[in-house]
Amino acid sequence: MSNQAVVDLKKNTNVTPKKGGKISISKYVAYLFLIILCLLWVIPVIFGITTSFRSQTEVVSSGFRLLPENWIMENYVAILENTSTAPILRWLYNSVFIAVSHTLLVVVVISITGYGYSRMKFKGRDTLFFTLLGISFFPGVVNLIPSYKIIDALGWVNTAWAMVIPGLAGMGNIFLVRQFMNGIPKELDESAKVDGASDFRIYFSIILPLVKPILIVCALFSFTGSWNDFLWPVIVYTDVVKMPVTAGLLLLQDIYGNYRMIGQLMGSAILAIIPTLLLFLFAQKYFVQSINLNAGIKG
Amino acid sequence: MKKKFNLAPVFFVGPHLILFIVFILLPTIYGIYASFTKWNLLGAPEWVGLDNYKTIFFDSTSTFHTQFFRGLRNTLMFVVLTVPLLIIIPLMIAVALEHKKVKAKSLMQSILYLPGLISISAAALIWSLIFNKQLGITGNVFGSETVWASHQPYAWIMIVVLTLWGGVGGNMIIYRASISGVGQDLYESADLDGAGPIRKFFSITLPSINFPLIYTFVMTTAGAFNVFGQPLMLTKGGPQESTSVLMMYIRKLAFGSGESIAGMASAMAVLLGVVILIISALQYYLMNRKSA
Repeated sequence: MSNQAVVDLKKNTNVTPKKGGKISISKYVAYLFLIILCLLWVIPVIFGITTSFRSQTEVVSSGFRLLPENWIMENYVAILENTSTAPILRWLYNSVFIAVSHTLLVVVVISITGYGYSRMKFKGRDTLFFTLLGISFFPGVVNLIPSYKIIDALGWVNTAWAMVIPGLAGMGNIFLVRQFMNGIPKELDESAKVDGASDFRIYFSIILPLVKPILIVCALFSFTGSWNDFLWPVIVYTDVVKMPVTAGLLLLQDIYGNYRMIGQLMGSAILAIIPTLLLFLFAQKYFVQSINLNAGIKG
Repeated sequence: MKKKFNLAPVFFVGPHLILFIVFILLPTIYGIYASFTKWNLLGAPEWVGLDNYKTIFFDSTSTFHTQFFRGLRNTLMFVVLTVPLLIIIPLMIAVALEHKKVKAKSLMQSILYLPGLISISAAALIWSLIFNKQLGITGNVFGSETVWASHQPYAWIMIVVLTLWGGVGGNMIIYRASISGVGQDLYESADLDGAGPIRKFFSITLPSINFPLIYTFVMTTAGAFNVFGQPLMLTKGGPQESTSVLMMYIRKLAFGSGESIAGMASAMAVLLGVVILIISALQYYLMNRKSA
């Protein structure tokens, strides 16, 4: 990088007209910033992974190294064998079961409800919708304790129901689906109606295929949201065998003796992030798909 | 002739309506009601009027008074420390990623977004290793002799770093999508006028993504008020309860071992809820007015 480029930047930012100034220092500034951040973002994960392959003696004695001197599998063997106090495979199974069931139900509920509020005509439709939306802005912390009582009354404490069902009541995804459906031309289902198609038929054969993109996005966010939920499972689960992995990991700090078994601790953390990472790799383009709020407002 | 009542909307809207009433509306109303009661979560709540609120606000000898104001202060501390960074850093990333000449955008975007997919408990385990005096980076690379979790300001630094690491990705994606939607012709005519990148950012980009900015600002702030996992996992609320946030006290009072004081916890929850609502409304009003 030459001094000339620095001078060029100064000229550029000072609004001095220099048409087509080709050497752009801003590119290097952007690169430097992004690369530093990416390193900072990725090093913790690498450090966690490599530490899970280190022996405790190496962890304690060898100082900082990014890669282990000897790669060992013992930590993972120990994790998988410890099915009494830290049954991580069981926790992972619980989490997968909860997240998958929750996500499937979310898709069903938001597509049906979105259809109701967007495509159907009934008295007070919009009033009802915006009333619910308004109420849902009230911070969730207020209903935390009574929600627990309801779960308790239904006999759902320490069951997957507690994680799967209450989250279906949310309004955020329904709002998104309704917005998306509002953008579909009305003529489409009106002509089908003239031909005598029922609402269910229109929902299933016409609207559902068209709203697939937004449903996929909502499904992914529901899955990761459910997977990573922390406060609610910590409240609802006391039974070690029944809890999802996020709640289980809270117990590990004590189980693995406050970093006396750091390799096991890291191995467990790494196992716990594998499912969402895999999901991300497969569905990356949907995760980082444009959520353009400008378009949503103007359109 | 009376029109036949159409059952179809009931089928489409009804199931969610029931879920909404059972899991949002009733608990919210009951939560507000419970804040006016003495309640141990097991029996029926006993109406005590404004007693809980009076204790929280005026009885300076009570632990509830101390806990509420300490929890609120620490929660506000978290909000003030993290929210500006959770807006500014993602915005800088988005602008850098939208730079025409930068390559490998999607790889970099994925790396920066990924920690958001890692649950707070797994992320906290990894970061507490990094901040470990003996084993981690702070001790071994930077030679810090301090046990970070039990000393300030390090305890706050840990919490802020973990929050940023996991939190910048979501806002970044919203900003990036919004910036890429800004018309290229605006930038091209600015180029012709000789405007530099900084000038273009403040004169074109920023005003064009006004709504996403308001939205993320309000949502990020409201989310930050509910902070719970980071201090619980990293510092256990210490040192000397200086990172004990309100949600930790609310959970302890309502569900902690020993005596449940759910009425008092409800009153604190209602007060926290009201604070969140007021601040969200204020943000929305101020930012909307400024841009209008």
